Amino acid sequence: MRELAVLLAKDWRVAHNLRRLWAGQSRFKMAFIAVFAVGLLAGLWVLFLHGFRFLESLGGLGLMMVYRLFYLFFFGLGVMLMLSSVVTTYTTFFCSDETGFLLLKPVKIGTLTLYKTLQSAFYTSWAFFFMIVPFIGAFAMHEKLPLHFLVWLLFFSIPFVLLYSALGTLACLVALPVLLRSRVARWGLTAGVLLAVGAWILKTLPPPGQDDTFLVLNRLVPAIQWASHPLWPSWWMAEGIMALVRGQWGRGALLWGVLVSHVLLVGLLVETAGRGFLMVNWQGVQYASSPSRRRGVLLPSLDRLLGFLPRDIRALMVKDVRTFLRDPAQWSQALLFFGLLALYFLNLRTLRYHVLPPVWRNLIAFLNIFSVCSIMASLGSRFIYPQLSLEGHSFWILGLAPTSMARVLAAKFLSSVFSLGIVSLVLMTLSTHMLAVPGPIHVAAFLAALAMTMVVSGLSTGLGAAFMDLKQRNPAAIVSGFGGTLNLVLNLAFILVVIVPIGLVFHLHVRSGGVGYPPVFLLAVLWLILAAAGLTAGALFAGWNSLRRREFA
Amino acid sequence: MDAMIQLSHVSKSFGPVHAVQDLSLEIPRGQLFCFLGPNGAGKTTTIKMLCGLLRPDRGEIRIGGRDLQTDAVAVRRMTGYIPDFPFLYERLTAAEFFEFSGDLYGLPREKVRRERESAFARFGLLEYTHTLIKDLSHGYRQRLIYTVTLLHTPEVLFVDEPFVGLDPFTIRLIKNLLREQARAGMTIFLTTHILALIEDMAEQIGILVSGRLITAGTLSELAEATALRDGRLEDIFFSLTVSNGPTDREVSRA
Repeated sequence: MRELAVLLAKDWRVAHNLRRLWAGQSRFKMAFIAVFAVGLLAGLWVLFLHGFRFLESLGGLGLMMVYRLFYLFFFGLGVMLMLSSVVTTYTTFFCSDETGFLLLKPVKIGTLTLYKTLQSAFYTSWAFFFMIVPFIGAFAMHEKLPLHFLVWLLFFSIPFVLLYSALGTLACLVALPVLLRSRVARWGLTAGVLLAVGAWILKTLPPPGQDDTFLVLNRLVPAIQWASHPLWPSWWMAEGIMALVRGQWGRGALLWGVLVSHVLLVGLLVETAGRGFLMVNWQGVQYASSPSRRRGVLLPSLDRLLGFLPRDIRALMVKDVRTFLRDPAQWSQALLFFGLLALYFLNLRTLRYHVLPPVWRNLIAFLNIFSVCSIMASLGSRFIYPQLSLEGHSFWILGLAPTSMARVLAAKFLSSVFSLGIVSLVLMTLSTHMLAVPGPIHVAAFLAALAMTMVVSGLSTGLGAAFMDLKQRNPAAIVSGFGGTLNLVLNLAFILVVIVPIGLVFHLHVRSGGVGYPPVFLLAVLWLILAAAGLTAGALFAGWNSLRRREFA
Repeated sequence: MDAMIQLSHVSKSFGPVHAVQDLSLEIPRGQLFCFLGPNGAGKTTTIKMLCGLLRPDRGEIRIGGRDLQTDAVAVRRMTGYIPDFPFLYERLTAAEFFEFSGDLYGLPREKVRRERESAFARFGLLEYTHTLIKDLSHGYRQRLIYTVTLLHTPEVLFVDEPFVGLDPFTIRLIKNLLREQARAGMTIFLTTHILALIEDMAEQIGILVSGRLITAGTLSELAEATALRDGRLEDIFFSLTVSNGPTDREVSRA
């Protein structure tokens, strides 16, 4: 316990120093982050509140569902926490240099496991609190619950988060040795996940001829029943909070005790699993790669595919793709975000969105464009912007190469356009196809995705060059600098000022029952093209101008 | 012989690559032992096995008579490891990192503070006491890691490439420190490619090629074994590793 206290005290000091560092950051950046955080929370709060009011407006069934949704919400959050914890555990335990450092210190493996479990729970749970605040705020307001409801919520949230995070950690610790050892197990797991998703899609396919109300009942009622099972920790939490709100202190305390005792039990299991597997897993992850595993399977084809490009630009692009594919932190996040979107778009017909009235289909199509654009902006800011800075000490290789900086910039830009473009255009086509929207919306969605690809690539590459920081090796620190913040602001501004108005024009037109496509659409498309071209060219010029005048030693 | 470090028939492979093969070695207390070898010879793998970061596939490692696998925490209390690019908590100050290390080893706070004053004074770190580690240069980070690693006065110290990227002042500082510690009874196991420094410091030298220990002994013993009586370590090293490294002719041509 002393060792755990020492490690947690160290984290407290780190947090204290971080707070001091943040206090010294630019006010613009802090204000920007605060505005977006509050805006997001407020937006979610309004959304949830409207949801509750909508359910109330349905009468009997809706009223019954409001409380039951409370259970379903915690059930869903618990599952998401656990899945997220599996990924966080992998990075916190096995990809962090700190683990190697602490393995050399006189810290018991069990204690180290518990410490890393707490760290992983912390990293997993901040998003949990971000989600929980607007939902619970809206729920409490809608149900006119007393203020002490929030105290009980916090009281239950801590063991709830610890329990689900620890379950994720346990799953990761136990499964990893098998996955590291056997390729068959890895493929088996992938196939199992795909089969489960496929089975779920098939199971939720509506029988022909059902109307929408029956469909909602058919799908939601079993889910709510499932989430309300008293053996789920999410039920203990929801039921416990409501018991305390009703003044049933004994029942509330009992359920809290049940939750805490399970946290302790899972904690013991995690500690035991850590003693058995932490070292083996850490060694397996750290020393897993052998030269034979570094064969570029797709890369020779990519080289041929880009054969029409000059050789230096092609070489730089292939290098960037190779680096991207060999960095799981990059491709796994891109895969996760775009994969979830693809899964959602594939299910649009399962959700029967394609039979909705045109106004709704149009709205959903533009909301989908907005989602794809937002993810592109976020991934561009996180991964494309710091690329030039991350060349770091090896930048002199590019500086001394018999190629111009304009071509280096062009290679970075084209890599980004190709990779983002393929994914976004496929997703947009999928979305509009599944929604069965009319031709002009197909074209608008396609153009919006193309414009966003150019803007994200241009801004992230151009500003990445203009604000290049070769001394910084930490991508997060590069992204959080002034240039990174500006890049994100401009990307989001483009969405707000260009993409959203186009959606609005279409929406208003369809809602007013207008026929044909008046000249305002042409103007909107023209605005899209001009804004995208101007922003992309401006950012690339700024980047090129900065690189041209730069010393590389 | 009072052997502090014992390796018996230790082997380690990574897939098809045999990093270390059947390595047996005994290093007595208070000796400064230098491990030499071309790149990829298995030096870092050996040092990581000695620290307990890697588990040997075969063979046994004992530090101070204790089995590294079964008595890991006790072994860690008596050892210290300084890698070429050590991990440091970037967002702690030098003083906070020093105190954190003292807490991990359960040392009295007062003693840690006293040690910090003297160690920081010796290593020229006093003016950086309250500087965040992220703002320290490579040289000062290395100085800090030496002060922190020596805080619990380990009986055995493993040092991997101690002089990479350091200025002559820091190199001399570290060289003197290692000599002093060895005289005081600390067993030091270090790897470096700077042959002149090994000649200057090492009591025993081991040469590893392709994961196999091809020879070990004092400089004069190695010279005798290679029939290069007045030879410098560089000549001895090349004569022993010639089949794996460049030939004299290639070197002179270069």
